[in-house]
Amino acid sequence: MLLKLAWRNIWRNKRRSFIVLISVVVGLAAIVLTDGLSNGMMSQMLFNQINLDVSHLQIHKNGFDRNKIVKNFIPDYKHVESTLQTNPEVEAYSKRVFATGILSSASNSSGVIIYGINPDEESKVSIVKSSIINGKYLGSGKREIIIGKKLAEKLGVEVGDKIVAMSNTLKGDIGSDAFRIIGIFQTSSSGFDKMTVYVQALTEQEMLGIGDNYHEFAVIAKDYTKINLVKNNVETKLGSDYEVFTYRDLLPMLIYQMELYKESMMILNVIIGLALIFGIINTMLMSVFERIREFGVLMAIGMKNSRLYLMIIFEAFILGIFGTFVGLICGLLLDIPLAHSGINLSIFATGLESFGVGAVIYPVLSIGNLINAVLFMPFVAVIGALYPAYKAIKLEPIYAINYV
Amino acid sequence: MEILKAENLVKIYQDNGVPVNALMDINLTISKGEYVVIAGPSGSGKTTLLNLLGALDKPTKGKVYFETENITLKEKKELSKIRLHKLGFIFQAYNLIPVLTAIENIEFSMMLLGIPDKVRKEKALELMDELGIKELANKRPNEMSGGQQQRVAVARAIVNNPSLVLADEPTANLDSVTAGHLLDLMEQMNSEKNITFIFSSHDKQVIDRAKRLIILKDGRIENQ
Amino acid sequence: MLLKLAWRNIWRNKRRSLITLAAVVFAAVMAIAMRGIQLGTYALNIRSVVELFSGYLQIQEKNYLDNPSLTSSFIIDSKILDALKSTKGVVDYAPRIYADGLISYKDNSRGAAIFGIEPEKEKNVTTFVQNINSGKFFTSDSSNQIVVGDQLLKNLDAKVGDEIVLLAQGYDGTLGNQKFKIVGTVKFGVQELESALIFMGLKSAQSLLAMGSKVNVVAIKADDLNHLEEINDQLSSKIRNSNIKILSWDKINPELEQAIQLDNVSGIFFLGILIVIVAFGILNTVLMSVIERFREFGVVLAIGMPQVTLTYLVYIETMLITFIGLVAGNIFGYAINYYFILHPIILGEELKKLYEIYHFLPQLKSTLQVSIFFNVSLSILAISLASCFYPAYKVYKLEPLKGIRHT
Repeated sequence: MLLKLAWRNIWRNKRRSFIVLISVVVGLAAIVLTDGLSNGMMSQMLFNQINLDVSHLQIHKNGFDRNKIVKNFIPDYKHVESTLQTNPEVEAYSKRVFATGILSSASNSSGVIIYGINPDEESKVSIVKSSIINGKYLGSGKREIIIGKKLAEKLGVEVGDKIVAMSNTLKGDIGSDAFRIIGIFQTSSSGFDKMTVYVQALTEQEMLGIGDNYHEFAVIAKDYTKINLVKNNVETKLGSDYEVFTYRDLLPMLIYQMELYKESMMILNVIIGLALIFGIINTMLMSVFERIREFGVLMAIGMKNSRLYLMIIFEAFILGIFGTFVGLICGLLLDIPLAHSGINLSIFATGLESFGVGAVIYPVLSIGNLINAVLFMPFVAVIGALYPAYKAIKLEPIYAINYV
Repeated sequence: MEILKAENLVKIYQDNGVPVNALMDINLTISKGEYVVIAGPSGSGKTTLLNLLGALDKPTKGKVYFETENITLKEKKELSKIRLHKLGFIFQAYNLIPVLTAIENIEFSMMLLGIPDKVRKEKALELMDELGIKELANKRPNEMSGGQQQRVAVARAIVNNPSLVLADEPTANLDSVTAGHLLDLMEQMNSEKNITFIFSSHDKQVIDRAKRLIILKDGRIENQ
Repeated sequence: MLLKLAWRNIWRNKRRSLITLAAVVFAAVMAIAMRGIQLGTYALNIRSVVELFSGYLQIQEKNYLDNPSLTSSFIIDSKILDALKSTKGVVDYAPRIYADGLISYKDNSRGAAIFGIEPEKEKNVTTFVQNINSGKFFTSDSSNQIVVGDQLLKNLDAKVGDEIVLLAQGYDGTLGNQKFKIVGTVKFGVQELESALIFMGLKSAQSLLAMGSKVNVVAIKADDLNHLEEINDQLSSKIRNSNIKILSWDKINPELEQAIQLDNVSGIFFLGILIVIVAFGILNTVLMSVIERFREFGVVLAIGMPQVTLTYLVYIETMLITFIGLVAGNIFGYAINYYFILHPIILGEELKKLYEIYHFLPQLKSTLQVSIFFNVSLSILAISLASCFYPAYKVYKLEPLKGIRHT
């Protein structure tokens, strides 16, 4: 009954209710949109990192992460391989040889990370294969190399050119080998493109003199949210000779940034809520004073203060819920087409690329933040109605009836 | 000299889609300096006629001439100018501007004419003195009685020296003694300043003191 | 008279006007404080980044930015020297060489980024020389001494005082190979950097790399971020050499510039939303206050007030509230920004780490830049003008009779 009364009262002054509604809608739609964009940017950062070389899980010899030197190769890679093969949560893995070294062309040289990979394996855990913009991906040929676009520019080389790679060997001398560039890739991270090159695992193993050994396993799980399960399983089976890291261990700053962002979304919600409250207080006040006479009558016929109070709160609450609902729909309608086409922020692309995001942002909504916003807005409306409702019940019935 | 002439005035309202004949075929001529009361029961069309004569409303058919000019076809802006320069209005509910003092209310229409501040104030005070309401000058409407407010409203209506003042039931909210004083005042203005007055009223006192009486019934003029 | 009328109308419903006022003040204070902290922190970040290493401006060989190789080098001739000395705003300058190389210690070798510098000059231009962690910095003419990144030392399993071998491709394309002694380490808090950095004297680098007296870069310290354009223009016109470019920090660190731009745009976007929401509040209030007074408006229209004058009244009323709100908002905003200049917000432990990755000072500071106050005030004024449009239109369309009959 009280609810029905509140509902009808809202529609008495359509224009006014409509304007309050619009401001709630704008607020919520804005929240949904910003949330989608920032969240999209964050998860793009994360997934780009994962897809470059981080993967979901990395396995090394214990101590490798702190000191990535040649001799820290995995003692028994076949054991690791069979462990991974029996784990049902593992989707794919890639064995990598790892070395830092120098790449020299006729005109310039640059410090790089040289990955030795089995091309088919690696293509299942990283996007390097699909990031080739010139030439082709590694095949079975020896002494072939693929390098990033930025690096190619720096060295002044193109597909087909020869370059020399140098690195420390297991014995401690400098090993060098000449490679032919067969492909150039461009990823979303300019830093990665500047730093990373890929060669055949066999070639690199020979160059470093480490037999058939590898430094790193990169693992992709079927469900990355369950990566800790895989980690625990692998850790217990392999023992303390190995170190096992998930992407969360490997990208602590990014994970932290994502947490930070969630907090800043909360602040954003509060500020928008505060801005809305002013409008809601004013509107509710006006609607209360307009109906003072009516309230006087209601009080005179014996309506209790608490019910009157509740009725006004209900009115604001309904407006809040309604606005939230419409705002949510508007925000989603804006988000959905953008989620397909993406928003091109190429004016800021250099900045974004250096963060490993890429120039086109695809909004992604996080359910948690949405739920927060959806719960928050009606609550804001209720807060805005507290004072007007208080004013209403402070009335003396006689005064109220005679009020013009 | 003729100041106002109505020719075959017809006004039909749409009330929820049903046409209502408010005025039927009114012909009327009013000369300068007349003191006319339009009387009749409620719903007879008094206010409608007054609004048409005061260029606040447009007739469905027929013409209104003010000082021989046809005002039925004029534009909003011009009508607003005529009302400002030539007409004065007095309303049933006084309708002073609540945030302005009595003297400021009187000054208001002078301000619209662009009369400078000083002249305005002098003239308003002079007029208030003449009407015996000088002591109200700095009071706001809510500090005045109904009679006092209506006197200020009269002052506001005549301050720009209009040739015609239209008063819609000016005494309806006043007791008979106060109403009598107000009528004295307006008769005085009529005779001293030769301002034409047209009233609408069903107050017996007003009708009794009319110099010319027009009786409306169901949208038609009954006497004449 | 119109102004007086507007003023009194505002105070007729004190509560309503005060709430509207509060909304305007809120929006203005929020906007000014947020912009202040954003722009103030940008300036702080830019300064700490450019003062750490890159310098405010750099003189480079024209291809160096796209292709930082030894061949992109130049000789500091007397014209350049004169220009640097005679240009106002140049605090000091420091020449540098950069090359990639390989550092080996025992059976360990690492890729390295080699910088040839003059520590005495760098001290006046940048701060990285102060980041010495252990040992000491070499002097400009001491030969065969290097300072390495802290992590690099650990990775090599070496210690200060050890001798290492550096291998690098020289200016002529041949591989140079020379012994150096580690005399110190530097630490910036960024592992990637510290596991590759090597500093050596400019002359040592020139001989290792067969550069003669050529350099790649001259880093310049300016007295103020706002003077860069002037300094750049003066230097360019004095040097007049088509092989040489003068670049300011935003060209040298495009990532920093773009990151700031991105943050800036998202800040403006958010403020836009805030102001629009407040505008709806204003629209609602003005509309209500206008509709409440339709009857009154009808009467003054009947008296002969032109419609346009009446719409002016509506505008004046709103502008008065907005104006008062903006004055108060600017005063509060000024106070807040001033406070955060005197007492910068010191970031917590975790955020600090994040900031250090970008070499930012872990602080949020504000600024009293005039443009902030001006832009914020102008946008709020504009949007409140815009939100008046609909109520004013309603008044413009009001017929006197309809107004009088309005209840």
